[in-house]
Amino acid sequence: MKTHKNSILVLIIVFAGSVMLSFITKLDKEMGGPWEVPAKYKAMKNTYKDDASLEKVGKMLYIKHCKSCHGGLGEGDGPKAASMKTGFRSLKSAEFQAQSDGVIYYQSFIGRDEMPNFESKVPEEEDRWAIVNYLRTLK
Amino acid sequence: MRKYTTIIFLLVFVFGNLFAQETEEQTPEEKDKPVRSPFESGYLIDNQTSFIPTAKTLEYVIQHKFGSIGNGKSDLWGIYAPGANIRIGLNYVVAKNMQIGWGIAKKNKYNDFNAKWTILEQTRKNTIPVAVTLYGNFAIDGRPLSAFESGKVQRAFQTDASYDYKFSDRISYFSQLIVGRKFCDRFTMQTAVSFTHFNSVAMGMDHDKIGLHLNGRIKVSPQGSVVFNYDAPLKIKSISEQVEWYNHPEPNLSFGYEISTSTHAFQIYMGNSDGIIPQEIMMNNLNKITKDSFAIGFTITRLWSF
Repeated sequence: MKTHKNSILVLIIVFAGSVMLSFITKLDKEMGGPWEVPAKYKAMKNTYKDDASLEKVGKMLYIKHCKSCHGGLGEGDGPKAASMKTGFRSLKSAEFQAQSDGVIYYQSFIGRDEMPNFESKVPEEEDRWAIVNYLRTLK
Repeated sequence: MRKYTTIIFLLVFVFGNLFAQETEEQTPEEKDKPVRSPFESGYLIDNQTSFIPTAKTLEYVIQHKFGSIGNGKSDLWGIYAPGANIRIGLNYVVAKNMQIGWGIAKKNKYNDFNAKWTILEQTRKNTIPVAVTLYGNFAIDGRPLSAFESGKVQRAFQTDASYDYKFSDRISYFSQLIVGRKFCDRFTMQTAVSFTHFNSVAMGMDHDKIGLHLNGRIKVSPQGSVVFNYDAPLKIKSISEQVEWYNHPEPNLSFGYEISTSTHAFQIYMGNSDGIIPQEIMMNNLNKITKDSFAIGFTITRLWSF
Protein backbone atom coordinates (compact mmCIF):
# COMPACT_ATOMS: atom_id res chain seq x y z
CA MET A 1 0.00 0.00 0.00
CA LYS A 2 2.86 2.32 0.95
CA THR A 3 4.66 1.57 -2.36
CA HIS A 4 1.44 2.38 -4.23
CA LYS A 5 1.17 5.76 -2.44
CA ASN A 6 4.79 6.55 -3.20
CA SER A 7 4.31 5.79 -6.90
CA ILE A 8 1.32 8.13 -7.07
CA LEU A 9 3.32 10.84 -5.30
CA VAL A 10 6.21 10.46 -7.75
CA LEU A 11 3.82 10.62 -10.70
CA ILE A 12 2.19 13.80 -9.31
CA ILE A 13 5.61 15.43 -8.79
CA VAL A 14 6.79 14.50 -12.29
CA PHE A 15 3.54 15.76 -13.84
CA ALA A 16 3.57 19.02 -11.87
CA GLY A 17 7.26 19.53 -12.68
CA SER A 18 6.65 18.98 -16.39
CA VAL A 19 3.79 21.46 -16.43
CA MET A 20 5.89 24.09 -14.66
CA LEU A 21 8.91 23.51 -16.92
CA SER A 22 6.78 23.92 -20.02
CA PHE A 23 5.75 27.35 -18.74
CA ILE A 24 9.31 28.33 -17.89
CA THR A 25 10.65 27.71 -21.41
CA LYS A 26 7.87 29.79 -22.95
CA LEU A 27 7.95 32.67 -20.49
CA ASP A 28 11.72 32.87 -20.12
CA LYS A 29 12.15 34.59 -23.45
CA GLU A 30 10.77 37.92 -24.51
CA MET A 31 9.28 38.33 -27.92
CA GLY A 32 10.82 40.95 -30.19
CA GLY A 33 8.87 44.21 -30.50
CA PRO A 34 6.87 45.25 -33.56
CA TRP A 35 8.83 45.27 -36.82
CA GLU A 36 9.60 48.60 -38.44
CA VAL A 37 9.26 47.67 -42.07
CA PRO A 38 10.21 50.31 -44.69
CA ALA A 39 7.41 51.36 -47.04
CA LYS A 40 9.34 49.93 -49.99
CA TYR A 41 8.97 46.42 -48.60
CA LYS A 42 5.39 46.92 -47.43
CA ALA A 43 4.45 47.79 -50.99
CA MET A 44 6.33 44.88 -52.54
CA LYS A 45 4.29 42.59 -54.75
CA ASN A 46 4.90 38.86 -54.81
CA THR A 47 5.22 38.24 -58.54
CA TYR A 48 5.65 34.49 -57.97
CA LYS A 49 2.53 34.08 -55.79
CA ASP A 50 0.82 31.41 -57.88
CA ASP A 51 3.93 29.79 -59.30
CA ALA A 52 3.35 26.11 -58.52
CA SER A 53 6.77 25.18 -59.91
CA LEU A 54 8.36 26.84 -56.87
CA GLU A 55 6.56 24.73 -54.23
CA LYS A 56 9.37 22.19 -53.91
CA VAL A 57 12.06 24.89 -54.18
CA GLY A 58 10.50 26.86 -51.30
CA LYS A 59 10.28 23.77 -49.12
CA MET A 60 13.89 22.72 -49.81
CA LEU A 61 15.21 26.22 -49.12
CA TYR A 62 13.16 26.46 -45.91
CA ILE A 63 14.64 23.16 -44.71
CA LYS A 64 18.17 24.32 -45.54
CA HIS A 65 18.08 27.86 -44.17
CA CYS A 66 15.19 28.18 -41.69
CA LYS A 67 14.39 24.82 -40.12
CA SER A 68 17.31 24.76 -37.66
CA CYS A 69 15.70 27.66 -35.73
CA HIS A 70 12.07 27.82 -36.82
CA GLY A 71 11.50 24.06 -36.73
CA GLY A 72 10.11 21.72 -39.33
CA LEU A 73 6.58 23.07 -38.97
CA GLY A 74 7.42 26.69 -38.21
CA GLU A 75 6.68 26.45 -34.50
CA GLY A 76 10.03 27.95 -33.47
CA ASP A 77 11.22 24.69 -31.97
CA GLY A 78 14.31 23.98 -34.11
CA PRO A 79 17.50 22.76 -32.38
CA LYS A 80 19.13 26.22 -32.49
CA ALA A 81 16.07 28.03 -31.11
CA ALA A 82 16.98 27.16 -27.52
CA SER A 83 20.19 29.20 -27.69
CA MET A 84 18.40 32.38 -28.87
CA LYS A 85 17.57 35.19 -26.47
CA THR A 86 14.43 36.20 -28.34
CA GLY A 87 11.29 34.09 -28.37
CA PHE A 88 9.84 32.71 -31.58
CA ARG A 89 6.38 33.43 -32.91
CA SER A 90 4.79 30.49 -34.65
CA LEU A 91 4.89 30.92 -38.41
CA LYS A 92 1.51 29.18 -38.46
CA SER A 93 -0.11 31.81 -36.22
CA ALA A 94 -2.85 34.09 -37.48
CA GLU A 95 -0.73 37.07 -36.37
CA PHE A 96 2.17 36.06 -38.64
CA GLN A 97 0.02 34.97 -41.55
CA ALA A 98 -2.00 38.24 -41.47
CA GLN A 99 1.10 40.17 -42.61
CA SER A 100 1.59 41.03 -46.27
CA ASP A 101 4.05 39.06 -48.43
CA GLY A 102 6.32 42.12 -48.59
CA VAL A 103 6.51 42.35 -44.79
CA ILE A 104 7.32 38.63 -44.52
CA TYR A 105 9.97 39.12 -47.23
CA TYR A 106 11.57 41.91 -45.15
CA GLN A 107 11.46 39.88 -41.94
CA SER A 108 12.86 36.80 -43.67
CA PHE A 109 15.71 38.24 -45.72
CA ILE A 110 16.65 41.63 -44.28
CA GLY A 111 16.14 40.57 -40.68
CA ARG A 112 17.04 42.32 -37.42
CA ASP A 113 18.86 41.46 -34.20
CA GLU A 114 19.01 37.68 -33.85
CA MET A 115 17.18 37.10 -37.12
CA PRO A 116 20.14 37.26 -39.53
CA ASN A 117 20.23 38.78 -42.98
CA PHE A 118 19.79 36.09 -45.61
CA GLU A 119 20.25 38.19 -48.75
CA SER A 120 23.63 36.67 -49.59
CA LYS A 121 22.61 33.12 -48.69
CA VAL A 122 19.46 33.31 -50.82
CA PRO A 123 20.61 35.73 -53.53
CA GLU A 124 17.83 35.18 -56.09
CA GLU A 125 14.51 37.02 -55.86
CA GLU A 126 12.68 33.99 -57.23
CA ASP A 127 14.06 31.79 -54.45
CA ARG A 128 13.17 34.34 -51.78
CA TRP A 129 9.56 34.48 -52.94
CA ALA A 130 9.53 30.67 -53.11
CA ILE A 131 10.29 30.66 -49.37
CA VAL A 132 7.58 33.27 -48.70
CA ASN A 133 5.13 31.10 -50.64
CA TYR A 134 6.16 28.07 -48.58
CA LEU A 135 5.64 29.99 -45.32
CA ARG A 136 2.07 30.63 -46.50
CA THR A 137 1.46 26.89 -46.70
CA LEU A 138 2.32 26.44 -43.01
CA LYS A 139 -0.91 27.96 -41.71
CA MET B 1 31.43 72.38 -86.17
CA ARG B 2 29.15 72.78 -83.18
CA LYS B 3 26.25 71.63 -85.38
CA TYR B 4 28.01 68.36 -86.28
CA THR B 5 28.97 67.76 -82.66
CA THR B 6 25.34 68.22 -81.55
CA ILE B 7 24.14 65.80 -84.26
CA ILE B 8 26.72 63.18 -83.23
CA PHE B 9 25.70 63.53 -79.57
CA LEU B 10 22.03 63.20 -80.47
CA LEU B 11 22.68 60.13 -82.65
CA VAL B 12 24.74 58.43 -79.90
CA PHE B 13 22.06 59.26 -77.32
CA VAL B 14 19.14 58.05 -79.46
CA PHE B 15 20.81 54.86 -80.73
CA GLY B 16 22.35 54.17 -77.34
CA ASN B 17 18.92 54.29 -75.79
CA LEU B 18 17.40 52.22 -78.56
CA PHE B 19 19.96 49.46 -78.09
CA ALA B 20 19.64 49.69 -74.33
CA GLN B 21 15.87 49.25 -74.58
CA GLU B 22 16.26 46.26 -76.85
CA THR B 23 18.64 44.63 -74.40
CA GLU B 24 16.35 45.31 -71.45
CA GLU B 25 13.32 44.00 -73.32
CA GLN B 26 15.09 40.86 -74.43
CA THR B 27 16.77 40.06 -71.14
CA PRO B 28 13.73 38.78 -69.15
CA GLU B 29 12.66 36.61 -72.07
CA GLU B 30 16.03 35.11 -72.83
CA LYS B 31 17.74 34.97 -69.47
CA ASP B 32 18.45 31.39 -68.51
CA LYS B 33 19.41 31.22 -64.84
CA PRO B 34 22.02 28.88 -63.36
CA VAL B 35 20.72 25.61 -61.90
CA ARG B 36 20.07 25.66 -58.16
CA SER B 37 22.78 24.23 -55.89
CA PRO B 38 24.49 21.56 -58.02
CA PHE B 39 26.57 21.04 -54.88
CA GLU B 40 26.14 22.24 -51.31
CA SER B 41 29.82 22.95 -50.74
CA GLY B 42 32.94 23.92 -52.65
CA TYR B 43 34.55 20.71 -51.39
CA LEU B 44 33.62 17.18 -52.27
CA ILE B 45 35.62 15.03 -49.83
CA ASP B 46 39.10 16.28 -50.87
CA ASN B 47 38.26 17.49 -54.35
CA GLN B 48 36.77 20.74 -55.58
CA THR B 49 33.27 21.31 -56.93
CA SER B 50 31.92 24.01 -59.23
CA PHE B 51 30.17 25.61 -56.24
CA ILE B 52 31.50 29.00 -55.18
CA PRO B 53 29.52 30.96 -52.55
CA THR B 54 28.27 34.48 -53.25
CA ALA B 55 30.84 37.29 -53.52
CA LYS B 56 32.41 38.59 -50.29
CA THR B 57 31.89 35.27 -48.49
CA LEU B 58 34.60 33.84 -46.27
CA GLU B 59 34.79 30.06 -46.03
CA TYR B 60 36.60 28.23 -43.26
CA VAL B 61 37.42 24.59 -43.87
CA ILE B 62 38.70 21.77 -41.69
CA GLN B 63 39.73 18.56 -43.46
CA HIS B 64 40.82 15.63 -41.36
CA LYS B 65 41.91 12.09 -42.11
CA PHE B 66 42.57 9.57 -39.38
CA GLY B 67 44.98 6.66 -39.73
CA SER B 68 43.97 3.62 -41.77
CA ILE B 69 41.51 1.15 -40.33
CA GLY B 70 43.90 -1.79 -40.93
CA ASN B 71 44.83 -2.26 -37.25
CA GLY B 72 41.20 -2.66 -36.26
CA LYS B 73 40.12 -2.12 -32.70
CA SER B 74 43.71 -1.91 -31.36
CA ASP B 75 43.85 1.74 -32.47
CA LEU B 76 40.08 2.17 -32.75
CA TRP B 77 40.08 1.76 -36.54
CA GLY B 78 42.64 4.50 -37.07
CA ILE B 79 41.17 7.12 -34.72
CA TYR B 80 44.03 6.65 -32.23
CA ALA B 81 46.61 6.02 -34.99
CA PRO B 82 49.56 8.41 -35.29
CA GLY B 83 49.27 8.82 -39.08
CA ALA B 84 46.43 11.35 -39.03
CA ASN B 85 46.51 14.30 -41.39
CA ILE B 86 44.67 17.61 -41.08
CA ARG B 87 44.28 20.73 -43.18
CA ILE B 88 42.88 24.06 -42.03
CA GLY B 89 42.02 26.55 -44.76
CA LEU B 90 40.42 29.88 -45.49
CA ASN B 91 38.82 30.81 -48.81
CA TYR B 92 37.43 34.17 -49.83
CA VAL B 93 35.13 34.89 -52.75
CA VAL B 94 36.57 38.05 -54.29
CA ALA B 95 34.06 38.36 -57.12
CA LYS B 96 31.19 36.36 -58.56
CA ASN B 97 32.42 32.77 -59.14
CA MET B 98 36.03 33.68 -58.31
CA GLN B 99 37.64 32.44 -55.11
CA ILE B 100 41.10 32.56 -53.60
CA GLY B 101 42.33 30.52 -50.65
CA TRP B 102 45.13 29.51 -48.35
CA GLY B 103 45.59 26.47 -46.17
CA ILE B 104 48.04 24.57 -44.01
CA ALA B 105 48.26 20.79 -43.88
CA LYS B 106 50.02 18.59 -41.36
CA LYS B 107 51.58 16.10 -43.79
CA ASN B 108 54.83 17.62 -45.12
CA LYS B 109 53.81 20.87 -43.37
CA TYR B 110 52.32 22.15 -46.60
CA ASN B 111 51.24 25.75 -47.08
CA ASP B 112 48.99 25.94 -50.13
CA PHE B 113 47.69 28.96 -52.00
CA ASN B 114 44.84 28.32 -54.38
CA ALA B 115 42.34 29.93 -56.72
CA LYS B 116 39.11 28.67 -58.25
CA TRP B 117 37.08 30.15 -61.07
CA THR B 118 33.77 28.77 -62.25
CA ILE B 119 33.89 29.99 -65.83
CA LEU B 120 30.49 28.63 -66.85
CA GLU B 121 27.50 27.67 -64.76
CA GLN B 122 25.04 25.09 -66.04
CA THR B 123 21.70 26.74 -66.79
CA ARG B 124 18.16 25.56 -66.15
CA LYS B 125 17.08 25.59 -69.80
CA ASN B 126 20.28 23.94 -70.96
CA THR B 127 21.58 26.99 -72.80
CA ILE B 128 24.81 25.98 -71.05
CA PRO B 129 24.55 22.21 -70.39
CA VAL B 130 27.56 21.88 -68.07
CA ALA B 131 29.46 23.81 -65.44
CA VAL B 132 33.11 24.46 -66.24
CA THR B 133 35.55 25.26 -63.44
CA LEU B 134 39.27 25.92 -63.27
CA TYR B 135 41.18 25.22 -60.08
CA GLY B 136 44.87 25.76 -59.43
CA ASN B 137 47.21 25.88 -56.49
CA PHE B 138 50.83 25.87 -55.46
CA ALA B 139 52.05 24.38 -52.23
CA ILE B 140 55.23 24.84 -50.23
CA ASP B 141 56.69 21.85 -48.42
CA GLY B 142 57.53 23.34 -45.02
CA ARG B 143 59.58 20.54 -43.46
CA PRO B 144 63.05 21.29 -42.10
CA LEU B 145 66.02 20.67 -44.40
CA SER B 146 66.91 17.51 -42.46
CA ALA B 147 63.76 15.88 -43.85
CA PHE B 148 65.32 15.83 -47.33
CA GLU B 149 68.04 13.28 -46.64
CA SER B 150 71.45 14.83 -47.49
CA GLY B 151 70.00 18.25 -48.21
CA LYS B 152 71.34 17.90 -51.74
CA VAL B 153 69.40 17.45 -54.95
CA GLN B 154 70.30 16.16 -58.37
CA ARG B 155 68.89 17.69 -61.50
CA ALA B 156 66.98 15.31 -63.76
CA PHE B 157 69.31 13.48 -66.16
CA GLN B 158 72.37 15.01 -64.37
CA THR B 159 73.42 12.39 -61.88
CA ASP B 160 77.06 13.49 -61.75
CA ALA B 161 76.49 16.73 -59.83
CA SER B 162 74.46 17.65 -56.78
CA TYR B 163 73.18 21.02 -55.65
CA ASP B 164 72.01 22.56 -52.41
CA TYR B 165 68.30 22.18 -51.74
CA LYS B 166 66.65 25.51 -52.58
CA PHE B 167 63.35 27.08 -51.65
CA SER B 168 62.03 26.45 -55.17
CA ASP B 169 62.60 22.71 -54.66
CA ARG B 170 59.87 22.79 -52.01
CA ILE B 171 57.19 23.96 -54.41
CA SER B 172 54.57 21.81 -56.14
CA TYR B 173 51.69 22.76 -58.41
CA PHE B 174 48.27 21.35 -59.22
CA SER B 175 45.88 22.56 -61.90
CA GLN B 176 42.54 21.09 -62.80
CA LEU B 177 39.77 21.60 -65.35
CA ILE B 178 36.43 20.40 -63.99
CA VAL B 179 33.31 19.76 -66.07
CA GLY B 180 30.14 18.94 -64.17
CA ARG B 181 26.45 18.49 -64.73
CA LYS B 182 23.45 18.37 -62.43
CA PHE B 183 21.39 15.66 -64.13
CA CYS B 184 18.38 15.98 -61.84
CA ASP B 185 17.58 17.28 -58.36
CA ARG B 186 19.14 14.19 -56.84
CA PHE B 187 22.20 13.54 -58.97
CA THR B 188 25.21 15.70 -59.90
CA MET B 189 28.42 14.37 -61.40
CA GLN B 190 31.76 15.90 -62.32
CA THR B 191 34.71 14.76 -64.39
CA ALA B 192 38.04 16.51 -64.42
CA VAL B 193 41.51 16.36 -65.86
CA SER B 194 44.48 17.57 -63.85
CA PHE B 195 48.18 18.23 -64.14
CA THR B 196 50.47 17.92 -61.14
CA HIS B 197 54.08 19.06 -61.00
CA PHE B 198 56.62 18.79 -58.18
CA ASN B 199 59.81 20.82 -58.56
CA SER B 200 61.70 18.18 -56.63
CA VAL B 201 60.88 14.51 -56.07
CA ALA B 202 62.54 11.46 -54.51
CA MET B 203 64.60 9.11 -56.68
CA GLY B 204 62.47 6.92 -58.92
CA MET B 205 59.52 9.31 -58.94
CA ASP B 206 58.14 11.46 -61.75
CA HIS B 207 58.00 15.24 -61.60
CA ASP B 208 54.77 15.42 -63.64
CA LYS B 209 51.53 13.51 -63.46
CA ILE B 210 48.35 13.81 -65.46
CA GLY B 211 45.21 12.61 -63.71
CA LEU B 212 41.55 11.96 -64.34
CA HIS B 213 38.86 12.53 -61.75
CA LEU B 214 35.26 11.45 -61.35
CA ASN B 215 33.07 12.49 -58.48
CA GLY B 216 29.51 13.36 -57.57
CA ARG B 217 26.68 13.35 -55.11
CA ILE B 218 23.37 11.57 -54.82
CA LYS B 219 20.91 13.54 -52.72
CA VAL B 220 18.92 11.26 -50.46
CA SER B 221 17.12 13.84 -48.30
CA PRO B 222 16.77 17.65 -48.32
CA GLN B 223 19.96 17.98 -46.27
CA GLY B 224 21.71 14.65 -46.85
CA SER B 225 23.68 13.29 -49.80
CA VAL B 226 25.86 10.31 -50.57
CA VAL B 227 29.16 11.58 -52.02
CA PHE B 228 31.80 9.69 -53.96
CA ASN B 229 35.13 10.45 -55.57
CA TYR B 230 37.73 8.65 -57.70
CA ASP B 231 41.11 10.11 -58.69
CA ALA B 232 43.29 8.24 -61.17
CA PRO B 233 46.93 9.20 -61.74
CA LEU B 234 47.70 8.08 -65.29
CA LYS B 235 50.68 6.02 -66.41
CA ILE B 236 51.89 7.99 -69.42
CA LYS B 237 55.32 6.92 -70.63
CA SER B 238 55.88 9.97 -72.79
CA ILE B 239 55.92 12.33 -69.79
CA SER B 240 57.64 9.93 -67.40
CA GLU B 241 61.32 10.02 -66.51
CA GLN B 242 61.27 6.37 -65.45
CA VAL B 243 62.01 3.30 -67.55
CA GLU B 244 59.82 1.26 -65.22
CA TRP B 245 57.56 2.41 -62.42
CA TYR B 246 58.34 0.84 -59.07
CA ASN B 247 56.15 3.06 -56.97
CA HIS B 248 53.60 4.63 -59.23
CA PRO B 249 50.90 6.51 -57.27
CA GLU B 250 47.71 4.56 -56.66
CA PRO B 251 44.18 5.74 -57.48
CA ASN B 252 42.25 7.39 -54.67
CA LEU B 253 38.75 6.10 -53.98
CA SER B 254 36.54 7.69 -51.37
CA PHE B 255 32.88 7.71 -50.48
CA GLY B 256 30.85 9.22 -47.70
CA TYR B 257 27.82 11.14 -46.53
CA GLU B 258 27.24 14.89 -46.55
CA ILE B 259 24.93 16.88 -44.30
CA SER B 260 24.45 20.53 -45.21
CA THR B 261 22.76 23.50 -43.58
CA SER B 262 22.57 27.19 -44.41
CA THR B 263 26.17 27.89 -43.46
CA HIS B 264 27.76 24.48 -42.86
CA ALA B 265 28.55 21.39 -44.87
CA PHE B 266 29.74 18.31 -43.02
CA GLN B 267 31.11 15.33 -44.90
CA ILE B 268 32.21 12.10 -43.25
CA TYR B 269 33.86 9.57 -45.50
CA MET B 270 36.35 6.77 -46.03
CA GLY B 271 39.22 6.99 -48.49
CA ASN B 272 42.49 5.23 -49.26
CA SER B 273 44.79 8.25 -49.59
CA ASP B 274 46.42 9.86 -46.58
CA GLY B 275 47.09 13.11 -48.43
CA ILE B 276 44.68 16.02 -48.36
CA ILE B 277 46.01 18.56 -50.86
CA PRO B 278 45.40 17.32 -54.42
CA GLN B 279 49.01 17.15 -55.66
CA GLU B 280 49.89 14.99 -52.68
CA ILE B 281 47.05 12.61 -53.56
CA MET B 282 48.00 12.50 -57.24
CA MET B 283 51.76 12.08 -56.77
CA ASN B 284 52.47 10.42 -53.43
CA ASN B 285 49.56 8.12 -52.62
CA LEU B 286 51.00 4.61 -52.38
CA ASN B 287 48.00 3.11 -50.53
CA LYS B 288 46.30 0.55 -52.74
CA ILE B 289 42.53 0.28 -52.81
CA THR B 290 42.29 -2.52 -50.31
CA LYS B 291 40.06 -2.80 -47.26
CA ASP B 292 42.88 -2.15 -44.78
CA SER B 293 44.11 1.01 -46.55
CA PHE B 294 40.94 2.98 -46.03
CA ALA B 295 40.83 5.68 -43.40
CA ILE B 296 37.95 7.60 -41.87
CA GLY B 297 37.95 11.33 -42.64
CA PHE B 298 35.76 14.39 -42.52
CA THR B 299 35.51 17.76 -44.23
CA ILE B 300 33.68 20.63 -42.57
CA THR B 301 33.03 24.03 -44.12
CA ARG B 302 31.59 27.15 -42.48
CA LEU B 303 30.54 30.27 -44.38
CA TRP B 304 30.44 33.91 -43.28
CA SER B 305 28.97 36.56 -45.55
CA PHE B 306 30.02 40.19 -45.45
